[in-house]
Amino acid sequence: MIAGHFGLAAGVKSRQPEVPLWALMLATVWLDVVFAPLLVAGIETIETPGSYGAAVIHADYTHSLVGAALIAALFGLVAARPWGRRAGMVLGAVVFSHWLLDLVVHRGDMPILPGNAGGLPKLGFGLWRVPAAAIAVELVLVITGAVLYWREAAQVSHDAGDRRAGRAHRLGAAVLIAGLATLALDALGI
Amino acid sequence: MAFFVGLVVFVVIIGVLDTRLPWPDPRSGRR
Repeated sequence: MIAGHFGLAAGVKSRQPEVPLWALMLATVWLDVVFAPLLVAGIETIETPGSYGAAVIHADYTHSLVGAALIAALFGLVAARPWGRRAGMVLGAVVFSHWLLDLVVHRGDMPILPGNAGGLPKLGFGLWRVPAAAIAVELVLVITGAVLYWREAAQVSHDAGDRRAGRAHRLGAAVLIAGLATLALDALGI
Repeated sequence: MAFFVGLVVFVVIIGVLDTRLPWPDPRSGRR
């Protein structure tokens, strides 16, 4: 799941307008951002990458329940320094939301403890086994998040003066189109 | 590739353009 995470972040922006959108967008995929160098280093791996929903992902540190919680807490603490405690808590929660959404789609490959310590059962409801259903869930997240963001952006811009209203509508449309395009690329395995 | 496209578009392009909208300040809550 990629586009769905961005959709969720856009929706959060409409409810927490004081938190910068770029930070919400970064937070929502932060586990994957941390995953990328570990993948290159061979510490975390992907089996059968390429096609949508086919991958079994061995992200035993970044996508373990406890690992994700620790990464989220650290992100929130760092974000709280410039933007305050409330924004830090929101951003930390958005980081952890990535794990919750991944839990729905992953194929039982998400450990509880970092490094799969203790060999506890791995988690994942496996919606990726039905790609059309997983894509539908992402589509709902993208459309809902974009519409919520678009509406709130237009409202705050309208309240500040009509000159900025056009910019808000263009950005709202951009969030929707970018979300759909990202989902299409992911679904096509690109 | 979808991940990196999404990351650049949402975080760098849309995220930065969004800062030009009159959102409330993170600390004070004022616009």
